[in-house]
Amino acid sequence: METPGTDDRSLHQRVVGGDESALGEVHTRHYPLVLSLALRVTRDRVVAEDIVQEVFVTFWERPLAFDPDRGTLRSWLATIAHRRAVDHVRSEQRHRVSVLGPRLTDPEPSPSPLEDWVLAADEAARVRRAVARLPGGLREPIELAYYRGRTYRQTAEDLGLPEGTVKSRIRMGLRRLADELAEEEV
Amino acid sequence: MERHYGHGDEIPGTTDPLTRLSLDVLAETAAPPPGAVDRLLSAARSARRPVAAAGFTAPFAGRVAAMDALLASATRADWSQKIVEGWTLQELVAHLAATDSLVACAIDAPVAGPPLTANDVLGRTADMIAYTGGRTPQETRAEWRAQAEAIRARAAEMDPGTPITPGGMSFALSDHLLARMLETWLHTVDAAAVLGVSLPLPVAAHIHPTADFCARLIPWTMLLSGVDGGGARAVRLTLTGPGGGVWHVPLDVQVVARPDDGAPAEVEIACDVVDFCFLLGGRRAPDEFPATITGDAGLARDVLHCAPVLSGP
Repeated sequence: METPGTDDRSLHQRVVGGDESALGEVHTRHYPLVLSLALRVTRDRVVAEDIVQEVFVTFWERPLAFDPDRGTLRSWLATIAHRRAVDHVRSEQRHRVSVLGPRLTDPEPSPSPLEDWVLAADEAARVRRAVARLPGGLREPIELAYYRGRTYRQTAEDLGLPEGTVKSRIRMGLRRLADELAEEEV
Repeated sequence: MERHYGHGDEIPGTTDPLTRLSLDVLAETAAPPPGAVDRLLSAARSARRPVAAAGFTAPFAGRVAAMDALLASATRADWSQKIVEGWTLQELVAHLAATDSLVACAIDAPVAGPPLTANDVLGRTADMIAYTGGRTPQETRAEWRAQAEAIRARAAEMDPGTPITPGGMSFALSDHLLARMLETWLHTVDAAAVLGVSLPLPVAAHIHPTADFCARLIPWTMLLSGVDGGGARAVRLTLTGPGGGVWHVPLDVQVVARPDDGAPAEVEIACDVVDFCFLLGGRRAPDEFPATITGDAGLARDVLHCAPVLSGP
């Protein structure tokens, strides 16, 4: 018996065929991104977890709504997560309007891009400060990859390092940033 | 067909580098809470039934799941679309339920639809389509799905070699389930083509036994076509792609095709495994069939032309 495929296309093929273990693998692989997006929009971990479950159940129930020839599974799941999260926030807004009356609530958010309203200015500043505090070996690859949009390969060429080293330094840098920002919140 | 797409490969809200960085930082600490996968699978099972991933019933169950996934996304308008044989999507599901019901009856599983009076596919299909005329598409879908699951569950308790004769065709139970797998697959592809859905192939582990079944049918298709396969002659069949393999196919219904062992063959036919299954299913034209022939070209032409003889509506 061949080992079942574990790339996204194979996982989709298995989910279409009703193999629930493939859904578990999709969840393990894409949970962090889906949760991050839901959390950014809702700013509520409990609500975000509910949205995450909804997104993966949607993929299970209607797997043919995703077409691997038209985009990646990652971006499709992200789109669904974002849409569900925005719907949740707007529904909360409408609820507050109906309970408190329109003049006592925030204005309805406009459908601007996600970063315009989920990444508050102070948070952006916190991230920038945390990046600036990283040691050079971790800071430089992050600045090149994120601020200047360089690929892993280009970043490796810019720094004269092997690509694998660059990837692991970016990973270490992200982990360090996560720890620092978590400490700030305590 | 209901679809919801993003824009190409863009993650929403990641055009700004700081947003992208923040998301990636957050993802570093985003571990699922304990029990998250179990809770997800429990909720998923309520939305769509999973299938057993192994055993001789798995290829059939997998195609039933794929058809059900297609039906899950069908809009009200889709259900009235003509798919094949002049049938709407709802009537096509009724046809699948009708043909399945002959197998259900043969193994004492609960039979969907009206009492079974016809033991032939066309007669039973007509009865089932008349029966579903007064029912909603979702009721038709639910009855077809429940019966298919009952067939799978009952068959799993039985010896796969048990001979059964639904619709007058006597084969082992396991082969009848492969025949049901192939027909369900073909009709799902028919529906996907009309509705504009991209349908992934079955997994290789499900294609292989179906291809093996099709290879073993070759001497029968020649016999039923009235073409003399020539007793002692044989074909080497090389089926490429996931789930493929190489078979030695004696053109004698008394001798079963087997994995190739290098025994002599008058002709070698090499083609794609899915194309070969679809040729047997009547979805490929023998005259234009893409195959590499080595040896007796006349015999190869006979094999390919006879192959679809068992395909029905």
